[in-house]
Amino acid sequence: MGGISGSRTALYVVVGVLVAMLFVPALQNGYYENLCRGILMFSAMALGWNFIGGYAGYVSFGNVVYFGLGAYTSAALAERGVENVWVAIPLAMLVAVLFAVVLGIPILRLRGHYFGIATLGIAVATQEIIANVDALGGGSGVTLRQAAWFSQYYYAMWLVCAGSLLVTWLAARSKFGYALVAIRENEDAAAVLGINATAYKIAAWAISGTMAAAAGSVFAFANGFVDPPTAFSVDNNVFPIVMALLGGIGTVAGPLVGAFVLTAINESLWSRFPQIHTLFFGAVIVLVVLFLPRGLLYLRRGARGGWRGFIGSLTAYRV
Amino acid sequence: MTANSEFLSIRNVSMHFGGLQALADVSFDVAEGSVVGLIGPNGSGKTTLMNVLSGVLRPSSGSVTFRGRRIADVPTYDVCKLGIARTFQIVKPFANLTVRENVAVGAMYGRDGSKRHFSQAFERANELLEIVGLARVAERPASDLTIPDRKRLEVAKALALDPDVLLLDEVMAGLNAAEVDEALHLLRGLSARGITLIVVEHLMKAIMSISTTIVVIAEGHKIAEGAPLEVTSSPLVIEAYLGKRYVERKRAADARSAAHNAAEAPAAES
Repeated sequence: MGGISGSRTALYVVVGVLVAMLFVPALQNGYYENLCRGILMFSAMALGWNFIGGYAGYVSFGNVVYFGLGAYTSAALAERGVENVWVAIPLAMLVAVLFAVVLGIPILRLRGHYFGIATLGIAVATQEIIANVDALGGGSGVTLRQAAWFSQYYYAMWLVCAGSLLVTWLAARSKFGYALVAIRENEDAAAVLGINATAYKIAAWAISGTMAAAAGSVFAFANGFVDPPTAFSVDNNVFPIVMALLGGIGTVAGPLVGAFVLTAINESLWSRFPQIHTLFFGAVIVLVVLFLPRGLLYLRRGARGGWRGFIGSLTAYRV
Repeated sequence: MTANSEFLSIRNVSMHFGGLQALADVSFDVAEGSVVGLIGPNGSGKTTLMNVLSGVLRPSSGSVTFRGRRIADVPTYDVCKLGIARTFQIVKPFANLTVRENVAVGAMYGRDGSKRHFSQAFERANELLEIVGLARVAERPASDLTIPDRKRLEVAKALALDPDVLLLDEVMAGLNAAEVDEALHLLRGLSARGITLIVVEHLMKAIMSISTTIVVIAEGHKIAEGAPLEVTSSPLVIEAYLGKRYVERKRAADARSAAHNAAEAPAAES
């Protein structure tokens, strides 16, 4: 085996499900279309988080900042009368790259936990700044006029998700992907082997950001309304992390598996226990970190070693 | 200047960490193709010197130049591109990658890495695993390796950088006699390929047998430099390793046996 792509079977399943999801709008069922667009959105964000958190090992607690910037790129365009999601997506990605490079140069010199704290600060600060820019609607938000062909937002989100998956897959079979994993495993050893860690971390953070920003730009149009609490919501910050953790960080298919599973469970709980379904997410985070530190995709590998393998993986990977 | 002193030269290198002087005014040259043994008691500054040579630490004063370039001017990640590679005394494997992948990363980003495609880096890794004797565990995660195998992996990773100078920091520590012989065989092979070796080691027998030159460091000072036999007979070196009292006692014993021999000599004649 080996390789940094993770389970090939899981990847085939995920790609199969993704292709099947192309036909969801044909069902002419608004509920399913919204639900599946949500899964695609969270999948793209989880893949984005996985790129910096799972592959480079730099845990970000503020990737929602890119989602928010993407959503506000769409809002800013709509304010100027350009109500076109296909223009918004590349522009949002460009904004994300600029943001990642400008902020990455100072904060990616930080190591480990300090980076995580800095990203959280950046997300909070950015939300506050945007809430005070009147040109972007300030605290009251921006309404975006939606196109007559509503399903185009579904297809746009599908493309964002499939593109994120493709980029992750390509990275995991390239020199670039191995540089990130080497940095995750031991940054000093990586440097001695010729890897310019700061440059690779900034690149990883920028790519991570483009995935979330693209998802955010589509979300703004599909939702028809953007204000700071929606664009920078805690849910959009935390869910992708939980999904990536649940599916298996540092794998290609893991974030999607996590997004599918978690959305399915959440949806069935949401309808039955509307008051306490967020409590459930808290429980999932705790259980995953305690018992599945490397995610669902590692279950099979652990099972091969029986109980001893399971306990071994518990002790080896607990953060 | 001779060609040798232009290869790798250490000039008046001092290093202090706060009030602690780890290296004091150390100078010596390393000739291309030589095997330099770096010895000294624990805490004498050997690893600090290795860190300065590999660009991990910048010296407080003095300089290390390799083929005319100051190591301190080059970022750590570019030192290997000059042709200098090192192993770590405390091994640093990428635990979740396989042994082959560990070595392949070096082959991707080392001196000739940019010329290699992704798959060529893995082919190069296979060759190197064959050389260091790790081919049998190529597919295992590095975290599974035994201590001797981890040392081998360190050497393979360093070799993957296509170095002209290889810094080996206690690669033989913790090996049994047979494994030390294997390691020496490996190092002789590398030397025969023209790689200059700088070896830090505590095993005297091993280092004496392989080195062309020995440099002795004690409390941050270079106290001796020369051919292996020359260096071990130096009183300063014996004192550094075994203490002043040993030297005095040995001197007294030598004098006594000389007197004894002198007294016996005429008796033998008759």
